[in-house]
Amino acid sequence: MISPATGSDQDAVDRLFSAAYEELKRLARAVQRGEQSVTLTPTALVNEAWLKLSASPALGRLSRLEFKRVAARAMRQVLIEAARRRIADKRGGGLTAVTLDESFSQAAVSAADLLQLHDALDALALLNPRQAAMVEGRFFGGLEIPEIAELLGISEATVLRDWRAARAWLAHELHPTS
Amino acid sequence: MNRARWERVQALFHGALDRPTADRRRFVEQEAGPDPELIADVLGMLAQDESQVSLLDRGLGPAAQAVVGRLDEAMLGRQLFGPYRLLRILGEGGMGVVYLADRADLGTQAAIKILPDAWLSPARRERFLAEQRTLAQLNHPGIALLYDADTLPDGTPWFAMEYVDGLPLTEWCRAHQSAVPERLRLFRLVCEAVRHAHQHAVIHRDLKPSNILVRPDGVVKLLDFGIAKQLEAMDLPADQTRTGLRALTPAYAAPEQLRGGRIGVHSDVYSLGVVLYELLARRLPYDLVGRTPEEAAAIIAAREPVRPSVASRQTAAQAGELWSSMGASAWADLDVLCLTAMRQDPARRYQTVDALIREVDRYLSGEPLEARPDTVGYRLGKFVRRNRAAVVAGGVVASLVVGLVGFYTIRLTSARNGALAEAARSERIQRFTLNLFRGGETAVAPAESLRVVSLLEGGVREAAGLDREPAVQAELFQTLGTVFQQLGKFDRADSLLTRAVALRDARRDTTSTDLARSLVLLGRLRIDQARLEDADSLIRRGLGILRRSLPADHPSVVDASVALGLALQKRGRYDEAIGILGGVIQVDSATGVPDRTRAAHLRELGNAYFYAGHYPAADSLGRVVLALDRAEYGEQHPEVATDLAAIGEIEVVLGKYADAEQSYRQALAITRGWYGEDHPENAANLTRLGRALTYEKQVPEATIALEQALAIQERVFGPVHPQTAEALNELGNLAWTEDKYDLAEARFRRALGIYRAVFGERHQFVGVAMSNLASVLSEKKDYRTAEDLYRRSIAIYEVELSPDHVNTGIGHIKLGRTLLRQRRYAGAVVESRKGYDILIRQTDPATSFIRAARRDLAAAYDSLGQPQHSARFHAELADTARAATGS
Repeated sequence: MISPATGSDQDAVDRLFSAAYEELKRLARAVQRGEQSVTLTPTALVNEAWLKLSASPALGRLSRLEFKRVAARAMRQVLIEAARRRIADKRGGGLTAVTLDESFSQAAVSAADLLQLHDALDALALLNPRQAAMVEGRFFGGLEIPEIAELLGISEATVLRDWRAARAWLAHELHPTS
Repeated sequence: MNRARWERVQALFHGALDRPTADRRRFVEQEAGPDPELIADVLGMLAQDESQVSLLDRGLGPAAQAVVGRLDEAMLGRQLFGPYRLLRILGEGGMGVVYLADRADLGTQAAIKILPDAWLSPARRERFLAEQRTLAQLNHPGIALLYDADTLPDGTPWFAMEYVDGLPLTEWCRAHQSAVPERLRLFRLVCEAVRHAHQHAVIHRDLKPSNILVRPDGVVKLLDFGIAKQLEAMDLPADQTRTGLRALTPAYAAPEQLRGGRIGVHSDVYSLGVVLYELLARRLPYDLVGRTPEEAAAIIAAREPVRPSVASRQTAAQAGELWSSMGASAWADLDVLCLTAMRQDPARRYQTVDALIREVDRYLSGEPLEARPDTVGYRLGKFVRRNRAAVVAGGVVASLVVGLVGFYTIRLTSARNGALAEAARSERIQRFTLNLFRGGETAVAPAESLRVVSLLEGGVREAAGLDREPAVQAELFQTLGTVFQQLGKFDRADSLLTRAVALRDARRDTTSTDLARSLVLLGRLRIDQARLEDADSLIRRGLGILRRSLPADHPSVVDASVALGLALQKRGRYDEAIGILGGVIQVDSATGVPDRTRAAHLRELGNAYFYAGHYPAADSLGRVVLALDRAEYGEQHPEVATDLAAIGEIEVVLGKYADAEQSYRQALAITRGWYGEDHPENAANLTRLGRALTYEKQVPEATIALEQALAIQERVFGPVHPQTAEALNELGNLAWTEDKYDLAEARFRRALGIYRAVFGERHQFVGVAMSNLASVLSEKKDYRTAEDLYRRSIAIYEVELSPDHVNTGIGHIKLGRTLLRQRRYAGAVVESRKGYDILIRQTDPATSFIRAARRDLAAAYDSLGQPQHSARFHAELADTARAATGS
């Protein structure tokens, strides 16, 4: 998924992806158990992995905020790859994918939705890279508004404004209403 | 959409938002002008802005839940997991999901562990497979057994293991209201399982009651060897997160684990200590709920836990129960036992689980603990309590052991005469050793050798106090050292024997036979330690001294010579070994040593002949040894079986297959009678028998023998074990000789799978199995796959053996032939030539492969139209053919 760099770099990247995956699993399980949304922000990843991964040369140079951003990108990549494979499996096996042993969550998200989001984000990045970065950081990485502001070097008001527009446009792309 | 347009869209969007809701649509339509798309976009965005229910608003959770860590329900019904069928989920850990499965054909159950999303990272997959390999290597009644392992079509790895239907250890004890002795007994069973793992260099790292299940029938099983390893990146116990979201504690983790320090055997010892604490006190030593690892480490460091005896009393009081008052000193010992295991400094804990087990045993039989301060009163007190009847006579012996130093120094100072001193000294040493072993037991059986070790250590301490009598001290160190060596404790033996040599060397007496004997003894230890160059020089030095002072047939000289012969044989200098051992045999004949000694010497010489390739000599010697052992031990003894099997090996090499078959049958009959059916020795002999029958082309009988061997190995070692793979390999060879290529392929594949599971991807056995599989595939004309497998096996050999190893050479030749069959002549020449060059240089050339290489090279060069190159090989073929027929 990321082209291998040096041995220890690759190791750090590997661990980052593993940590992202673990975080996603935790979130998935929380949803299955019906937990409240306050636990559903992907913050544990950064808190737990940060100190460990900061020892590696590839990631240690980054500031905490930059690291969070890298982590958000990792989360996105893991999710999209998982979505792609899910769809491929379905196509190959011709079977409906169902959760193994418990009830559905309401209005379930689908793998196709995720891929659409991914493509739409890529399209947004061409139009306004800053907004795309914002969405990626917030949705996949759980960055807060003040953190985004600091990372991108803009005011919080600007962040809120840009986020609002980007969110609306993406939602519209995903589910066009007449 | 382009950037400019996007800016426009946003401007309209925000402009509309500034207006009251009712006015927004009109605003947009007005400002956008004649651009229906633009209007639609902005209006759509406004609608979404209001509704707030898109994917982006529901957070990452549902998205994750949709695609991550899932398995299709369709897998439940389908037969994707070998013969197993998934029933329901059992649990989920960091490193995979565990399901309950059943096996329709056998009606048994199993637990299947799957790693979903294995594609995520090779490292993650590798860690999952590492747990599988760990389980494959561990075969112990206290550890969940590995049944099977494979991957799904999409690459998801899984393995099936023993399903343990039980309660966590603490739960079980609570439910059965177990008293302390039973809790200790169960704890000891756990320790045995952990010890087994440590002996295989596996540290569990996550020992806790939920990983220790007890079945309704009281059998204890250890689980979950992978969970802890997966988190090595974080070095945290499995259920701890800094945010505390999972609300579990680091209760069982050692302080060094919490601080991210070095983990070792001692970390498992700590965890076991906490488990014991919980069993005794019925609560945990520290309250660490919701703490981060650093906080937990700090709390543990701040103070010692309340002693289990006190805590147990408190718990009982709180529950309104009677406290189990076993007596103050019994509780005191339990306190020491438990808290020693839980010491914060790893160096101050029991250094091995074995030491912990021994302490538990001592406690259960009322003996003094090792961890206890060794006051005379305590030790005697224990002794008296245990052995009231024998206290009178025993008391004398006990005080002898205890007062050893004082006793001997008195005697020493009073003996001025040298000769008297010498006589007295040897008598003393004899009595010393005797007393050591008589110190409270009537006999020292092998099972009690561990108690012997503690007595020996006592002896070492005593001897260390004899600094003023270096001769006595040296002799004592030597005696103790050799006993340690017999017990396999090489490190202890090393330090003691080295000190003995140093003490004797310091006397500067270069003719000292004592020094020489010490050197030889140390040399023999070096052989056991596989430090062969050291062994060689030590023994030679000792032998030189002995030869100068003693006659050639003196027992010490003979003994040293045998030691040297053994060292040379291990170093591969067979001809020298033969020379020396031959001399020893001559001396034996002249001096009339006991038959047992003669047989041992002959056996060493026979081994040397065999390794040197002098098979007829090895054969005749082997028969002499057989006769001697039959006379010594009787017909049905395992020693005789070993001799028969060794003779069989020689007969196979000499091509006398029918004779080998007879030898192996006899060996098998003995081992079956001695050990019963399910024993590795039977499997080994059946495998040898099967091989011999294969050479005799008696295929059905060979198949029966090998399948019996396989069945025994599966029962004894489990289906995923190298011994089983060996039997499968032989069966594969067999099928191949019968041209049953599909069957051969299946067997080689299975063997390969087992070797991979047990040894990983880079072991030479994996190379061998790949090569065998490739040969079959080549017969089936699947040249591409065969070629790939050959290349991979060569790569393994080059690293794990050497680029010049005979196996590497053979691999190249086989690869060359496969290329030749595909008419890739240039490539064939390269590979066959490589193999040929390697094999030609061997001291023991594999002639059939060299011949094959010559044929292939001749054919390849001919096809390339290069007769100037092929001529050489045609000529060599003709030469060897002429030599073979003697013309």
